[in-house]
Amino acid sequence: MAPLTPRPIRLTLGYVALELRRTARDGGYVVFGVATPVVMYLVFTNLGLASGDRRHAAIFTMVSMAAYGALGSAFNNGSGLAEDREAGWLRRLRLTPLAPVQVVTGKVLTGAVVVVPGIVAVLLTGALVNHVTLDAGQWLSIAGLLWAGTVPFSLFGLGNGYRLTGQTSGMANITAMLLLSIVGGLWVPVDGFPAWLRHIAEWTPSNSYASLSWHVAFGQAPGAREVAVLAGWLVLFGVYALYGYRRSGRRA
Amino acid sequence: MDFYVGTVETNAVSLESVTKTFGSVRAVDDLTLRVPRGQTVALLGPNGAGKSTAIGVLLGLLPPDSGRATVFGLDPERAVRRGRVGAMPQEGGLIPRVTVRELLGFLAGTYPAPLPLDRLLALAQITHLRDRRVDRLSGGQAQRVRYATALAGDPDLLVLDEPTAALDVEARREFWDSMRGLASRGRTILFSTHYLEEADEQADRIIVVDRGRVIADGTSADIKRAVALTTVSVTARGDATWLGALPGVRHLEIHGDRAHLRSGDPDATVMALAEAGAVRDLQVVPANLEDAFVALIRKETV
Repeated sequence: MAPLTPRPIRLTLGYVALELRRTARDGGYVVFGVATPVVMYLVFTNLGLASGDRRHAAIFTMVSMAAYGALGSAFNNGSGLAEDREAGWLRRLRLTPLAPVQVVTGKVLTGAVVVVPGIVAVLLTGALVNHVTLDAGQWLSIAGLLWAGTVPFSLFGLGNGYRLTGQTSGMANITAMLLLSIVGGLWVPVDGFPAWLRHIAEWTPSNSYASLSWHVAFGQAPGAREVAVLAGWLVLFGVYALYGYRRSGRRA
Repeated sequence: MDFYVGTVETNAVSLESVTKTFGSVRAVDDLTLRVPRGQTVALLGPNGAGKSTAIGVLLGLLPPDSGRATVFGLDPERAVRRGRVGAMPQEGGLIPRVTVRELLGFLAGTYPAPLPLDRLLALAQITHLRDRRVDRLSGGQAQRVRYATALAGDPDLLVLDEPTAALDVEARREFWDSMRGLASRGRTILFSTHYLEEADEQADRIIVVDRGRVIADGTSADIKRAVALTTVSVTARGDATWLGALPGVRHLEIHGDRAHLRSGDPDATVMALAEAGAVRDLQVVPANLEDAFVALIRKETV
């Protein structure tokens, strides 16, 4: 019942609903955020490319690819913002009763929703195709951690979206996504990295993000170090997004 | 007894001495204008006259360097937030991957008392396009959808920045037909244009802007009269006040030994000067209004 919901919340949710519709029709999102991670997961685990025994690879790569897909969707959301600004949409929204804070909140919420299908698709593929068996608590923890951990990346993408033009922001976000995926050990486990690169990898947000779930998947508790590193990046990217938002506000 | 907390604001729009500078360019220069409720007003001026900047200020998109803008007596941003204003920016504002119905439904939903969607679609003549994706519209269709986005909230004030710039003649006519229907329902409409003809036909009142200032303000008849005045000047010694009574002369100014006659019929004025033997150092300067506006009229009448 709409009248029971406070108006600002209803307006924000209306904006989220519109953004979700748009995202679902975005071919780039469906291909890179959902389909690619699933396909890569199947390829890595079924064509003899993965290291270690088959069960280990199925679990490890499941987390990697779910993380990779979530990253893609989170950054894609930020690029969409730059396109919207260029299309005059953000200015258009300023000419409606919608407050700027509702628009930003809507965009952040959208980012939190669009990462879900990629994560769920890869986890389902793991369970149904690759016969990964974990207990219910593990499944829920992994899904929850993979979901919540996307916030720093979402903010980084939105910061780029606010700060850069449409095309530049798209490039910046894809580059960031690929670099973070590769250096963070989502494509190839960091065990195979040379030592110097492994040291770098341990400080990346992407590696910390996936590590939380790798630990849980193999029956360990998430490490305090990963939580701290990811929290550090969360603060940094949060400040960056705020800076981008303020700057773009001044340019109207 | 004092039940009123302030006066009832009769102006829909009020700009008081607004100045807005971009770098070294004074886009709007000490601009003052007031639009009473219910008027349809054209903001007429050449490109770069400051129309869009003035509109940006009155919509709360651009903060003025000095001066004040109010809409229904409120700060513009507040008036927009309350849903009293519908605006159509000069360009952009449409997003891909939504249908016309989804876009308008969302925008209408942000207003407290929007138009029903069917009415809105009919008013903008886009009922047949309602399920079309916004990114698959032609230029004219997109313009009508943009127009509908301004109407969606059923606002008291409609601000349209160059609404017909992208339309062909037929689409322009249809656009103004629908607009007139709105104006007759008591809405205040402010639109900018660089087509004199459009301002002439559609507006109750024309405000001519050039280089960020108001250079003329009135009905189209008022303005044409003002524009038509030509300055005829001669050297006159002694008492020259009689020149003011010559045919066509509306206004006489004397600076030293030069008499400047502002005439609505320069031919008759010059003829009379000749008959009176008063032609000395004759100079005829057409149209006293800003060159830009004169050029504008010429462009329109050619």
